[in-house]
Order: sequence, then C-alpha cells, then structure tokens
Amino acid sequence: MALTALICDDSLLARNQMKKSLPGAFDAEIVTATNGLEALNVLRSQEIGVVFLDLTMPELDGVGVLEAIKAEKMDVFVIVVSADIQPEMQKRVMDLGALAFIHKPVNTDKLSAVMRQYGLI
Amino acid sequence: MSIDWLSGPLLQQLNSGVILLNTQLQIVYINPYICRRADIQLESVQGKDIFSVFTDAPKAWLSRKLNSVLSLQSPAFSSWEQRQYLFKLPHLRPVSSANEYMAQNCNMLPLTEPVTGEHYVCLLIEDATDAYVYQNQLQQSNLQLQQVNRLDGLTGVLNRNYWQQQLEVEVQRAARYQHPLSLLFFDLDKFKRLNDDYGHQAGDLVLIEVAKLIGSLLRETDLFGRYGGEEFAIILPDTPLDGAIEVAKRICRRVAATPIAYKQQNLMTSVSVGVSQFSSADSADDLIQQADLALYQAKRNGRNQVVTYYPGLIDSLKKVKTN
Amino acid sequence: MTDLSFTEEQRDCLQELINVAMGLASDKLARFLNTFVHLQVPAIGLVSAAEIPEQFRGQYQGLNSSMISLGFFGDGGLRGETILLYQLDNAGKIAALLGYDDDATSEAEMLTDISSILTTTFLNGLADQLENSFSYAAPRIISSRDSDFISKLEQTAFHWQLALKVDIRYELTDYSFDCNMILLIPGEAVLKLKTILDHVLAEF
Repeated sequence: MALTALICDDSLLARNQMKKSLPGAFDAEIVTATNGLEALNVLRSQEIGVVFLDLTMPELDGVGVLEAIKAEKMDVFVIVVSADIQPEMQKRVMDLGALAFIHKPVNTDKLSAVMRQYGLI
Repeated sequence: MSIDWLSGPLLQQLNSGVILLNTQLQIVYINPYICRRADIQLESVQGKDIFSVFTDAPKAWLSRKLNSVLSLQSPAFSSWEQRQYLFKLPHLRPVSSANEYMAQNCNMLPLTEPVTGEHYVCLLIEDATDAYVYQNQLQQSNLQLQQVNRLDGLTGVLNRNYWQQQLEVEVQRAARYQHPLSLLFFDLDKFKRLNDDYGHQAGDLVLIEVAKLIGSLLRETDLFGRYGGEEFAIILPDTPLDGAIEVAKRICRRVAATPIAYKQQNLMTSVSVGVSQFSSADSADDLIQQADLALYQAKRNGRNQVVTYYPGLIDSLKKVKTN
Repeated sequence: MTDLSFTEEQRDCLQELINVAMGLASDKLARFLNTFVHLQVPAIGLVSAAEIPEQFRGQYQGLNSSMISLGFFGDGGLRGETILLYQLDNAGKIAALLGYDDDATSEAEMLTDISSILTTTFLNGLADQLENSFSYAAPRIISSRDSDFISKLEQTAFHWQLALKVDIRYELTDYSFDCNMILLIPGEAVLKLKTILDHVLAEF
C-alpha cells in the first residue's frame, strides 16, 4: 500500500505549489488540510506517513499541531514548510520533533534533497 | 535586428556618468562623461580601487552603500538633496552658478555578468546642478519674503503681528521652563509736536534713528518690535524684573542724551518706558496690558522716565481719573 | 467602474506571495544588518485615496514621525509606491543599524538609506515571486521631524480613486527599532496585478 502524505497550509496557492513540487519519485497519495485542527482530524482518523506543515495558520498553527503530535505520540514524519525564517522558530519546531525545516518558496530540488536524506524517496 | 552594437556608442555619448565596479570596488569601466570631467584615462585607472582614484569620495559611507547593493542585490540611491555630490566633478555652468562642483543624483545598481555569473555594481551619475541652483534661489527668495513679512517697513524692527506671535511663544516657554521673562513698552515723548514742528519726514527720521540706537543696546535674543505709531515694545527673555529695569533706564538715558541730526539741526527727543514681568498666571495679553499701564503712568509722571508695573497700579490710575 | 476587488483565490495568492517575499527579505536583511528583522504578516485591502490621511492620522498623530516614499515600476504595467513611516525618537538606532560610525551622514540621508534597503529588499523578493522585476525611483522624504506629515499627505494629490494597500511591519527582534511600510498599488495597476496573479494561479 502506498504512503499517504498530508499537506497542511491555509493558502491554496501554497498547497498547489507543494503538490506540484513533490518529486516524481515520491509515490504517495496526497490529502490536504487548511488549518491545524483539520490536520489533527486527518492524523487521528487515518494512517499518514509524512506531513508537510505550514506554521502560520488560523484556528491552530503549525506549532500547535507539532505539540499535539508529540503529546499523542503519533508516528509521523513532519517536514515544516514556512516563510518564517527566524532561527528561534526553527529551533522551536525542531525541538518539538520536526524532521526538517524548508524555507518557502518550495521547489522540487529543495524537497528532493530533504526527502532523499530521510529515505522518503 | 540585433541591437548589441547600441551599447558601445550609447556609453560613449551618454549625458550621464557610468562607473562599473567589481565586488572589490575596483574600477572595471568608466564612460567618457566621467573620464573627461575628472580628467582621467580609462586605461590608467582600470583595476584600481575607486577610492584611490576619487580620493575625495566619502569612503566609509559609500563603501557601505555599495556593499549593501552587492550583498542585498538591491539598488541604492544618493540624492543631491542629502549629499550634494559623491565625486568632485566640474559642472557645465561655471559662469552662471556659484557652486563649484556638479550636484549629483546617483543610482547604484546590482549587475550580474550573464555568462560568468560574476556580480558588479554600476553607478549611474546625473548632473543635478540646475535643480540645485534653482532650489537655492527659491530658498533665498523664501527667506527674504519671510523677512519682509516679519519686519516693520520703516524702522526695520519686527512688525506688530510677528512680535505678538513671538510674545506668545516666549510666554509659553517661560511658563513651561519657569524662566523669568520681562516686557518693555515705550513711547516717544511729544512725538505729535515733533511732527507738527518739523514735518513727517523729521518724525520718520527720529523713529528710524531711535530704533537703531535702541537696537544697539539690546542682546541678540531680545525681540524688538514696533507696536504702532511711535509705540515700541521689547521682549526680554530670561530676564528678571531688576535686569529689565536696568535696560529700560539705559534706554531712557541714551535716547535723551543722543541728538538726531536733521537739516543742520539737532533734534532732541526722549522716551517713557513701562516695565512688566511675567508671572505664571499671566497670559501674553496680561503682560502687554501691565506694561502699557506702567507706560501710561510714566507719561503721567512727567515723561522721560521708567515705571514698573505693580498690582496696585491700576487702582491708583483709576483714582487719578476720578479725581 | 472597473471592478478592482480580488477573488478569494487572487487574495490568497497575493497573501502567500507576500508572506514568502517577507521571509526572503528577513533573511537578506538579517545577513546584511547583522540583526534579525521580523516582518509581520500584512493586512491587505482596497482603500480610497480620501481615507489615507485619516488612517495615518489615527495611527501616527502626535508622534515624532518621518515619511519616506519610494516608487517602483515593473513589467506588465505593474507599478506602485511604498511609504515608510518611522518614529524618530531614536534616529541613532538607525545609524547603528546601518553601521554608520561617522558623523558625516545627515539624518535625512540615513532615513533614505534605510528606506531603500528595507523597501527594495522586500519588493525584489515580491518581484521574484511574481516572475517580474522592478526598477526603482530614488527615495524621497515626504516629511521629516520638522513638519506635520499628515497635512503634507492631505496636500498630496493622489491621482487614483482606489488602491491596493498592504501594511507591513518591520521589527528588530530586540524591539530596538521598528517601522511600518505601506505598499500602495494604484487603480490601473491593480488590474495588471490581478492578471499577473491569474498567471501565477494558472501555473499551479
């Protein structure tokens, strides 16, 4: 069975950019969420292999999602994709268990490098 | 049609300066516009540090700017309004303009060589001398207009309108910082008689000469104005009452002792002076009214003297009137 | 009247592109200024020319403020103007930020220098996102500490009725300095921007 990936971003453009930038070698089913609460609902109801997570979102932000994942001991890879480049923010999400931090704008090269490193492709 | 041939002649004939620098801020290219004005040969300056060629350029500031262009890959600007020029270059109005060097606007642009990918910074320099000259002329005219609007046409001291504005300012300042502030009001004695006996020309001359004499007795910071007709007023900032009385007495003595020459005659005149001192509850109008009352009392006492306002003065004046 | 308002997709697209441009600008500024500059998520909306002085009055009245304008032109008819607003209670902070240690630089020059750095860095990032490139006019001081900038603004004739207004706040992480940028894209150019956004959307 193929892996399922969750793309969580409040921006439609960002979600579409993300889908389009995923490397061709990444064989996964894609589901999407537009805020943190939606993302948690998806994570609790189905098996997700990897989450591409934006940080600044309404309802529940990316940090909140990471905290919930940690608290509920969910087994999922999280790759944060954000325009926020503050070093403190990067440290905070890595401490919360994120696998990698990708600066927007995303492109296939950046994604491939990270995903290869963690054996996702 | 290819337009690759265009850039050569354009750089040769462009009526703006072009300086291309590499990331070490060494000269790669300078167009003839700059070479001619700076009297340099391109071949002899190529590869040299820009600041070793233009030794008068503001090195610390400009190199910081140029580095911002290179590291941010964003343009930077310099305007003659903030910095008249970057490079000392002659301009083309040596006769009609007073300033020595070309006023400059400068654009600093990040450029990337398309094949090697090397970064450069390009300075585009435009002559803004005309704008600079016009602006200076405009400022001069504005300054003159402002002066005209503030001064009394006959005597050259402040006119009443501007003097009163200044009094408001000084009163506010004295109130805020609790500084002393005094006011003198004075009037030429028997001025109507002088006009009748010698004519208005003589009257005008006396006003001019007395104003000149008193002006010479005042400090730079004192504000001397013509209140109307033969009545004048002086704001003495940072001056307590005793100091103001001293000034008033000196004015009185000097005017009475100084003859004014008019058509082979010596005209003698004198002034009566009223003095008031600001206290925290006073408005500018209060201060004027108090000095004016004191002046009235000085006239009544027989002229050519100084009277200081005191709170009971108004009552004594009333008594005199009812008697 | 031509409809300048954005569809939800266009608004989302612009917001995302601006967020990304802000991130890129933060990164570049952090490297250049050796201190972290945080750009805050902007407010985007259409404003009428008549509202502008009133809005600024509410925000800046009575403060010791300076206002610097910088115009830009892009391909495809895109153009606009940014206005940077500073509170000038500590102009020395700007000098330190720019690394100016000589006294030869006037306050006016420091303001135009910091303005062009903050503005063009962000706008270059935005131009990249829009697959465009901008050229810039030299920054101009609209008002400084000597003048009431709101009355200056009221005297400024705006040759547009409606404009797209984007508010962006720049803040140093230690809060020692902050300023606001207002990006204004006037009526006709808003239509061009909508076309450009539609192109970006069509790509994804």
